[in-house]
Amino acid sequence: MADVSATMDFRRRDAGDKLRGHTRYTVDRYLPGMLHAAVLRANVPSGRIVRLDTAKAARMPGVRAVVTAADAPGTIGIGIADHPLFARDVIRYDGEPLAAVAADTLAQAQAALAAIEVETAPEPAVLTMAEALAPEAPLVHPDWRAYEVLFEGGAREGNVAWEATVVRGDVDGAFARTDVEIIESAFRVGRQNHIAFEPRAVVASYEDGRFHIETSTQVPWGIRNATARLLGVAASQVRVTVPPVGGGFGLKFDLAVEPFAALLARASGRPVRLVNSREEEMLTCLFRENAEIRIRSAVTREGEIVGREAVVLMDCGAYGGEQIFLTTMTAHTLGGNYRLGAVRLVSRAVYTNTAPNGAFRCCNGVYNTFALERHTDEIAARIGMDPLAFRRRNVLGDGDLGATGQVFEGDVLGPMLARMDTLRDAAAPPRKLADGRLFGRATTVGTWFVFVGPSAATVNMNADGTATLVTSGVEIGSGSMMQSLPQIVASTLGIDPGNVIVRAADTDAAGYDVGVGGGRTTVALGAASLSAAQEVRTKLLKVASDMIEAAPEDLVMRQGRIEIAGAPGSGRTVAEVATRAQAQIGPVSGTGAFTGAGVPAMPGCVAGHFIDAIDIPVFAVHDCEVAVDGETGHVEVLSYRVVQDVGRALNPRAIQGQIQGGVVQGLGYALHEEVTIGTNGRVNQNGFETYRVPLALDVVPVEISLYEGAPSIGPLGTKGAGEVPILNVGAAIACAVANATGKRVQELPLTPPRVLELLLDQKPDLSLSHIAEDWADNLVRPHGTTG
Amino acid sequence: MALSLNVNGDRRGFTADPVTPLVDVLREEFHLTGAKPVCREGFCGACMVLVDDRPTLSCLMPAALAQGCEVRTVEGLAANGTLNPIQQALEACDAVQCGMCFPGMVVTLTHLMKATPGATRDDVRSALTGNICRCTGYESIVEAAVRALTAT
Amino acid sequence: MTTNPLLQSGPAGSFYVAPSLPAALDALSDYGTAGAPFAGGTWIMRSPIRHEQLKAHYVAIGKIPELSAVKIGTDTIEIGAAVTHAALALALARLPEFGVLTAAAGRAANPAIRAMATIGGNLSATAFAAADCVPALLCLNAEVEIASRNDRERINLEQFLRMRSTLAPGRLLTRIVVPRNARKTAHARLPLRQSGDYPVAIVSLAVATDPANRVQAVRIAVGSVEPAARRWVRLEAALLGHVLNPVQATKVAAELADEFTGRDSVEVPAWYRVSVLPSLVRRAAVAALGS
Repeated sequence: MADVSATMDFRRRDAGDKLRGHTRYTVDRYLPGMLHAAVLRANVPSGRIVRLDTAKAARMPGVRAVVTAADAPGTIGIGIADHPLFARDVIRYDGEPLAAVAADTLAQAQAALAAIEVETAPEPAVLTMAEALAPEAPLVHPDWRAYEVLFEGGAREGNVAWEATVVRGDVDGAFARTDVEIIESAFRVGRQNHIAFEPRAVVASYEDGRFHIETSTQVPWGIRNATARLLGVAASQVRVTVPPVGGGFGLKFDLAVEPFAALLARASGRPVRLVNSREEEMLTCLFRENAEIRIRSAVTREGEIVGREAVVLMDCGAYGGEQIFLTTMTAHTLGGNYRLGAVRLVSRAVYTNTAPNGAFRCCNGVYNTFALERHTDEIAARIGMDPLAFRRRNVLGDGDLGATGQVFEGDVLGPMLARMDTLRDAAAPPRKLADGRLFGRATTVGTWFVFVGPSAATVNMNADGTATLVTSGVEIGSGSMMQSLPQIVASTLGIDPGNVIVRAADTDAAGYDVGVGGGRTTVALGAASLSAAQEVRTKLLKVASDMIEAAPEDLVMRQGRIEIAGAPGSGRTVAEVATRAQAQIGPVSGTGAFTGAGVPAMPGCVAGHFIDAIDIPVFAVHDCEVAVDGETGHVEVLSYRVVQDVGRALNPRAIQGQIQGGVVQGLGYALHEEVTIGTNGRVNQNGFETYRVPLALDVVPVEISLYEGAPSIGPLGTKGAGEVPILNVGAAIACAVANATGKRVQELPLTPPRVLELLLDQKPDLSLSHIAEDWADNLVRPHGTTG
Repeated sequence: MALSLNVNGDRRGFTADPVTPLVDVLREEFHLTGAKPVCREGFCGACMVLVDDRPTLSCLMPAALAQGCEVRTVEGLAANGTLNPIQQALEACDAVQCGMCFPGMVVTLTHLMKATPGATRDDVRSALTGNICRCTGYESIVEAAVRALTAT
Repeated sequence: MTTNPLLQSGPAGSFYVAPSLPAALDALSDYGTAGAPFAGGTWIMRSPIRHEQLKAHYVAIGKIPELSAVKIGTDTIEIGAAVTHAALALALARLPEFGVLTAAAGRAANPAIRAMATIGGNLSATAFAAADCVPALLCLNAEVEIASRNDRERINLEQFLRMRSTLAPGRLLTRIVVPRNARKTAHARLPLRQSGDYPVAIVSLAVATDPANRVQAVRIAVGSVEPAARRWVRLEAALLGHVLNPVQATKVAAELADEFTGRDSVEVPAWYRVSVLPSLVRRAAVAALGS
């Protein structure tokens, strides 16, 4: 229902001010009378709070408010409400908040923190998943049984915060077949820090008995609801607005600093600003979690995968958070890509006394894809089949079953592999590099999804011919709010996309939204915006039909006019029609809403899953060439190619920008970015000197082919395009390095020392002794039973 | 300590600890929030300003040392609101994403265009060694710079 | 536990921009242990991340003309302590005998840091093990001049490195003096990325050869591997008198590398810094022969 294509080369309107330095992010906001806040954090990974006395701090110069656990009675979480705002009696990680102060200046607030008297009694800590899963391990949450369950179905016990399982078919039977090879692989990955350039930041005020929270977030409604829960107030008492966000990548998909500022604003009666220092961001960022994976497959010599089983351990840190949900994703990532006979998977979110982990672009997907693709290469090597031929034979196609028994629609990965073949010659023999470095190449595939869920939109048609789009969407940098959404509205109404005004998120103005993340903005907010715009279109055409004396179905909307089809120049401008409509029936507006379709899984297949099947799968094929320095272990990326399933590209150049950026973030994950935790439980990398992200000289231009036409329930056939580019970078690099060196790559990142260790054969094969040999022994309770 | 600075042609006096990083003075006293204190270690370049026409990390320069210098921030680079050639090229290439690094990128590249008009693509990449971008993967920024360089 | 690990350092009291060297030395002497010289600031301004308190008084030396000049004489070059890395690389660009120093100064950190960080600061920052210019100047047999209100002395750089952490208040590194010689030099550094981070190991080489490439004199210094840069005397001795052959030099370096005890750090494990040394020796030898 549009007469103009929504595909446009439309430049983002926020670029000019961002280039002038005029854009005011949350960190740039100043309110009259605003106070500055700081948070006192624990410096032991595990302990009891014996005494916490803020009396002296409260009397310090400039101090206007001090808040502690007593001010925030609630707990939050995903699935399980295990997380208080401040440590209450028990400290579970180094960096856990103990108290917060607001003062006239930041220096005064920090001085007051130093005056808070704290006595703690250290307790034994579990810093790794191996320690947490050991028999008799100290429990991070001794009271885990008493916690409120927010979502039923996950198995839990002790330091296992959540367990999700998938069982489809007779796996034991598959492994017992005599015509199969059994291939087993083990993998480990570390954490990744988002390094959003704008740290978590908030300005809160308390007005007319309600909190106004202006914050750098991806989830305004999530902040509204979680803050209310922690503070013990009605969610309707919290209003969240969001200025332009200086980078999210999933970091800002969860609450962080908002409730501290809200409490301090209420206590002081003044606006309060709280901005995390870079060091706080480095030490307590909601990292992409570290994970350990064992995967085992039964494969015939012809290359059929008849059985697969895997155990995935995901470190959630001291509180469950996003990892509880992410246990669901293993079914679709590690269980994705390939047609499987029988399959069983268990994903366990494990508590440790470390900073909590969170969401990061293609959560769970990047490391499971790394594991799956390296395992796939190990399978191909074992059965003596070309790895690319193995993939061509086995990738998911039309009518194939996914791990949870959902039926995939359309042949997508196969044709995408064929598309990749047009970009490079896979059959070419390995290059000999003149400088003696080792050459390697690899092609990997990946399966991801669009995180659908509820979104709302309103389009107000203004009498001047412009339209205002009101949603709870946030511009985090990806451009979806600046490009695809106004393009969708503009094409529906036949107006210039520059004439679509996009309202910044305000929970008082727009309906509920899950948030900006999971590749859902163009899909979910786009679908809501499309249907809102269509309602406006219908109303305008009706009024225009009277004005022009033609049936609505004979009218078209294009170039700012409503005209009789085939008669350019006939009819009226949209502004004239909108003006007439406003006078006749009142201002014209439309509303739209969206949520998922609910694709079915096979009954009985899944347990502890938040979603059973994926509504919109997204596929990716990556290919890279690397050179490995045999003396130093340095890996240089020589070329990188991506074929990405985008459904339909509304703004190809913007998508290409997302792909280049996502691939480079993935190169950081694959090669440079390492987070380690010291014996004191603290993250070692406290700044940009030690945490190394890719720089301009470390990257290559990515050669990109957008694959359009795969089935999608997204508006106009779209899929999310911004999240998935990072998905198989770790996989592609790891496979290429393994091919270059002939060594078994089992860990990321492939920093020079790690690669050199491999080359020198000093790296023992990865042993994950805390993963039980027998798959079923890894479960808290058998699949399909209830606890 | 009483200090005085010349920023974007405006002179202003203020009181601050002399070792206060220039970036904080710019943001808090001058309300010029373009320069961002992202890492405060000199690695990210988001706080880059021109001090006597030289790209300078304002997180590492004490305010007292900037006295007597001409400080120009990103806000002072678009004369009368018109984007300069590198800003125009970055906009035309749709290079901007979250935008937090761009104040520094613009300062570094504006200087490069003036100081090294014949800069190659590799020169651009080397010049950006101290300017981190977490969103774009650099390519569109480098492409914009190369375009701006060849257009002049 | 009463202090927050994430707190910023406290404020400084005074900041004196010294107009001349005597004025700077007077001020430093008056402040005693409460004061410190402030050169480029790239180390001091990062005190907060190291959770170090700032000094109460700083004496800025960057605007003192005699400390900001590079004097190129017939027998020596003299480098003022406040000369920045960028200025040094520019001043020496046309003198191939100083290639090692040009590379060290011209590739350290990133362009904006190079424009601020000074050579004097690089030599004086005791806790900074990855300084590029230290091994470069060691292999060039540099001397440094230390001045105080009433005194001025010149000592060998190696001596200075040993005593720099205990340098009495009021004493300031003012100049670096490097002899001019016909020699081939090279600076092989290994950052973890292409560029932009501090090298995890450095081999600086200065070698004089006869027409048959036989080594007549050689100085090799290793930086970033141990807490302070030092010469690799055993390797120098092993190469002396032999034809400089990169493959052979690598082999010898591999045999001798165990004399180094790598420093463990967040960036890389100790063993890695040592194990890349032979490769850096080869790279330095290849570069020197090509220079």
